[in-house]
Amino acid sequence: MTAIPMPVLRTSPWSKVKKYALPIIPFFLLIGVWVSVIAIADPAIGILPRPLKVLQVPFQEDEYWPNVTASLGRLFIGFLVAAVTGVLAGIVAGLSRKFADFIGPLVTAMNAISGIAWIPLAIAWFGIGRGMVVFIVWNGAFFLIFANTVLGVRMVPEVLDRSLQTLGASRLHILRNVTFPGALPHVMSGLRSGLGFGWRAVIAAELVGATSGLGQWIFIAQEFARADIIVAGALTIGVIGLIMDRGLLAPLERRTIERWGLVESSA
Amino acid sequence: MTVTVSSSGSAAQSDIERQLVRDRGKEDRRGRIVGSLLAVAPFVMVVVIWWAIYTIFDPVPTKLVAPSKVVDAFFELIREGTLPAYITQSLGRLSIGVIIAIGVGVPLGWLLGLDKDVASSVEPMLRFFNAISGIAWLPLAIAWFGFTDRTITAVIIYTMIFPVIFNTMIGVRTVPTVLRDASRSLGSGWFRVIKDVYIPGSFPSVMTGLRLGIGFGWRALIAGEFIVGGGGLGFLIFNSRTAGLTERVMLGMIVLGAVWLLIDRLILRPIEEFTAARWGMVRL
Repeated sequence: MTAIPMPVLRTSPWSKVKKYALPIIPFFLLIGVWVSVIAIADPAIGILPRPLKVLQVPFQEDEYWPNVTASLGRLFIGFLVAAVTGVLAGIVAGLSRKFADFIGPLVTAMNAISGIAWIPLAIAWFGIGRGMVVFIVWNGAFFLIFANTVLGVRMVPEVLDRSLQTLGASRLHILRNVTFPGALPHVMSGLRSGLGFGWRAVIAAELVGATSGLGQWIFIAQEFARADIIVAGALTIGVIGLIMDRGLLAPLERRTIERWGLVESSA
Repeated sequence: MTVTVSSSGSAAQSDIERQLVRDRGKEDRRGRIVGSLLAVAPFVMVVVIWWAIYTIFDPVPTKLVAPSKVVDAFFELIREGTLPAYITQSLGRLSIGVIIAIGVGVPLGWLLGLDKDVASSVEPMLRFFNAISGIAWLPLAIAWFGFTDRTITAVIIYTMIFPVIFNTMIGVRTVPTVLRDASRSLGSGWFRVIKDVYIPGSFPSVMTGLRLGIGFGWRALIAGEFIVGGGGLGFLIFNSRTAGLTERVMLGMIVLGAVWLLIDRLILRPIEEFTAARWGMVRL
């Protein structure tokens, strides 16, 4: 056996520069356009703030951090409740084919009435404030998590279930060792999209029905012509969303799929 | 003679077949009736629970009304002509957003899909802005455009355009290089390859992005109508809450879900399936 000579991949220094420089260019361009618009048109701060002013918001505005934590707290509670109820209900529904088929159309309809559409009714039920925002987060995330969990449970090959049954395993044992781990990859992707959806729902709910939180803060800022707060708030919303998704849930999802996913191993 | 026998034989056979087909048709029909009854069943359950809660707890009308009140509100708003007007208004706003998002997003996606350097340059910024939901820009849009339709349109376009761009780009990238090479070796120039290979090859993915984008855009539209107002289904729901007309709030929500399901099942999904069948990639 002669080893096949592997082609040596040569990376030119230019390609390395390109790799890091290219993504930065559009951001510089954007800031360049932003600064020139301000220099030329000199718009009011209510229309377009100076970039430096936006950067200063987290350090100079006392209300910044309390509002960030208020929004994150609501997201956390609502998402936690949605995750627990969604996964539990999803497993129960997924175990019975008949039940899953029965409520299928209802879940489709509830997903069609988006979380945002519930805001007015939630205000009527819970009043303005935390309870209402938490409800909207739960509502937005629950059906996604539920639908994905049902799918995950249903995708577990029946052979695995049966083989454990013939070996005399109890119902609970199968649930713990086959059904739940087998459904986990789908559960994880449901949780991931649920969290993204929940974060958007927090902002939307706070925009119209809260007295604090990032959404409410940037909405009020518009009335006081403080576009620096609006832009800083919107950027914060984006950064938090990215950190949660890319930093937390995407790696978790990848690891779950690697560990329990039904991917054919390349042996 | 054999001809007659065989023909009469086939006639008898076709009689049986026809009978079988008829039976199967009957069965299909029965299956379909049972199927649609089953589809309605969970909603009947919800209405029953709703009615039970209403009778037991007897809530104030601003929190919950009887299902029959919602039905009354439906006919009332139809008679007034408000409901059809609001539906057309919402759909009109959505359509404007859709047209602009396609017009800008699809060509941009093609460009990103075709040129690797452009893609690696622009993609991170697009992903970053995609992470900021369109709703978060609503206050700035109000500062720029005031409480007008333009604010709603801007938010819809912002929300829709990223899924459209990304999916178009992925569509172009996943066109098998074999097809490009085949077309090239048959003597077509780059323009021809783009026109006949890359663009049609990306269609199924473009449709997926469009369906996703319109779904997000629909939600952004509702949020926009809450805050900006000026008619539409979102306005109906939000304003009826302020007026304490819970039956109209609930009716608006139901109509909202129903309209979306109709758009999705009758327009978007069939188009997506058609493009997938017509231009979908055979795995090479």
